[in-house]
Amino acid sequence: MIGEYQTVIHELEDLARDRGLAFDPVVFQITDSDEIAEVASMGLPNRFIHWYWGGTYKELVLQQSKEVFSILELVLNTAPSHAFLRSANTYLQNVLVIAHVLGHADFFANNHWYRKSNKNMLNLAEQHARMIRSFEVRYGRERVEKLLDALLTVATSVNAFERSGPELKKRLIYYLEERAPLEDFERILLESIREEAEYFDLIQRTHIINEGWATFVEAELLNRLLTAKEWATISVQLSNRPAPYTIGYTFFAALRDQAGFDRVLEIRRFYEDVSLIDLVLTDELVRRLDIFVYDPKEKQKSYDLQKVKEMLIAQKLYKGEPRIEVDPASQGRDLLLAHLDEDRKLEPKRVNLFLRAVYSLWRNPVKLRANGKVYTYDRRGLSST
Amino acid sequence: MKIHRGRIAQHKHDQHLREYLKQNLNELIQQKELIIDGKVKTQIATLDLPTLKFAEETQYLAQGAGSGAGGAGAAGQGAGDERIQALGGLLGGDHHGKELRVELDFDEFVKLAQEVLLEEMRLPSFHEPARWGEVESQDIPELDDLDRIGLRADLNLEETMVQSLFRNARERGALDYDVDVQQDAWYFIEDPTTFQNNRSVEVYVLDVSGSMRGEYLSLVRKTIFILWHYLERRYPTNLRRYVVFQDVAEEKTRDEFFCVESSGGTHISTGFEKAVELLDGAGEYDKFLFMFTDGETSSGDFDLAKKRFEEARGAFDLVIYGHVNPGGRGIGGFSEYVQEAAKTGEGATFANLMDLETIRAAMKDFLAFFDAQASRRYAGTARR
Repeated sequence: MIGEYQTVIHELEDLARDRGLAFDPVVFQITDSDEIAEVASMGLPNRFIHWYWGGTYKELVLQQSKEVFSILELVLNTAPSHAFLRSANTYLQNVLVIAHVLGHADFFANNHWYRKSNKNMLNLAEQHARMIRSFEVRYGRERVEKLLDALLTVATSVNAFERSGPELKKRLIYYLEERAPLEDFERILLESIREEAEYFDLIQRTHIINEGWATFVEAELLNRLLTAKEWATISVQLSNRPAPYTIGYTFFAALRDQAGFDRVLEIRRFYEDVSLIDLVLTDELVRRLDIFVYDPKEKQKSYDLQKVKEMLIAQKLYKGEPRIEVDPASQGRDLLLAHLDEDRKLEPKRVNLFLRAVYSLWRNPVKLRANGKVYTYDRRGLSST
Repeated sequence: MKIHRGRIAQHKHDQHLREYLKQNLNELIQQKELIIDGKVKTQIATLDLPTLKFAEETQYLAQGAGSGAGGAGAAGQGAGDERIQALGGLLGGDHHGKELRVELDFDEFVKLAQEVLLEEMRLPSFHEPARWGEVESQDIPELDDLDRIGLRADLNLEETMVQSLFRNARERGALDYDVDVQQDAWYFIEDPTTFQNNRSVEVYVLDVSGSMRGEYLSLVRKTIFILWHYLERRYPTNLRRYVVFQDVAEEKTRDEFFCVESSGGTHISTGFEKAVELLDGAGEYDKFLFMFTDGETSSGDFDLAKKRFEEARGAFDLVIYGHVNPGGRGIGGFSEYVQEAAKTGEGATFANLMDLETIRAAMKDFLAFFDAQASRRYAGTARR
């Protein structure tokens, strides 16, 4: 099993250190596609069980069975790092995965934002899962599940980069944590969900730089380790990765060619997705990556650098979600939320469900300014003016 | 021991999904194209948390599909490729697969629908012992393929494959011996006069003239699903044929039957005629004709329809005429004739399908056929 990879793991680790990388120990284990889908859907192997992960798990298993998509590897930002190699992979594929994982491990250990992240999340998630099970016994499964649904809904408002200061008060989950009339166990649950959400938010906000760096390291190491023939086979696979991998890889390769390897090491230490895009994206790269702003009605592509860059950055800043903030006019029992992108319409059905979830935590009327009106959710349900 | 957290989570998800589907059954069942590639498609990606989403994207960030980065020395194939992939969630999500809609196997969907409908209509689950002298049980038997196939030694493989060849030629235009477990009846080496209750021939005839859509389709499909519940428990093998008609009648596959395009006039006579034609050579017991129409036959077809109806009554063991009437209007036209005819004489029942309550009443009439048939059979056995 994993024994057959020990030699190559050591070789790759030595090569990585020679290139100036530094990382915490990585615990590799071999597992099947099913377990990888399980961990990928839940985010962590021992996280609490929720129906929402079940949907993602089902989707991943389906995609793997239809060969739409399969996950080759999975690695956790913990100390030590834990990495899963798929047993169905060929030896060469797993060698590629090991090199890729070392790139991630280096990023986890050196990137400014990751250094500050919670490396104990594996234990913390286990602790949360146990606590949730005990709450279910004590307060009833249905009540806890409804609470979790609402908390996971508002948890998208976390920001791993802004965990203090005035910005925090505008973010719904932090506002609720401070002021919602919750029972003790509910508040504990909110804190747990918020902590986990911050852990995952960092991964989302650094997806391009993190995957790009891992792919870049993988290419650097394998180019030195493999024979020309093996490298030719693998390099084809490198070009067929999902967007964050290819975009990030291209950025790092361009930087290396322009400014050298030391500059690349520096970028991986201090940057995140938005600053990296802002620094590196050029007309030439937009064309090479074939990224464009698409108008489905007119069926038109725009390769305008400024437009593409703005949209890419907005996508990263707000995760493609509507920007909802707590309005400063909120006082006492009045919670007023505002959609900052007023020009863009929100799905009305979701407004109702979302406000119902917020109301279940706030327990007083909740207002939302969006779609050119003010929605109110109170004990009578949804109304709008 | 490994705890399969993913599967437990999936189970929880599926319970929510079942609830969702139950609540939205009426909407789903009315979809014009109910079956696509053997599946019932829904409009939901997966059950989602109620986060806010934009109503529509006027412009979005995308990448030429297959463009790749040209990374690591390998050339991408993007230039000139018009396929486009929205980048959206790919840039920040944990997984990168294409979004898939929830889809159910048609059989799974039917089972779910039956569960909901039986509960809503307060109808009993039903199982008559297949042969006299068997122990009766209140449990609902789950028929799997083995039940349908029976003992291997009893299987008439030659006949099964010949029938499958006919079906493939008829439906796909291919001379293919592939036996489809879902669609082909399994033939046994048996004497049909001894085992009169092993196999049913069911011909479903649907009026697809202009008015048959929406609530009409919903009533028809609900009735059919409930009928299947009873027929599948009554007969180990159900041989099903499907016909749609407007001005002319055509045989369809099951999947086509559930993806109807409504248009044209109503020549009910053609529906009956085609159904009788399909019986040619059928030695099975029992033979059922299920006709679904709003009864408004085109002018000039009335007398011919009467004639064909009587012929069908003679050819089938039972003709069930469903007058599809969601508005609950008075019964007129050809339906009125059948309603009266069904009162006098055997071999036909009339159902005014207005809502679940009337489907329930229709099922009671239909089940009475089994009762009468069983009485006759048991009386015959006793006499011997």
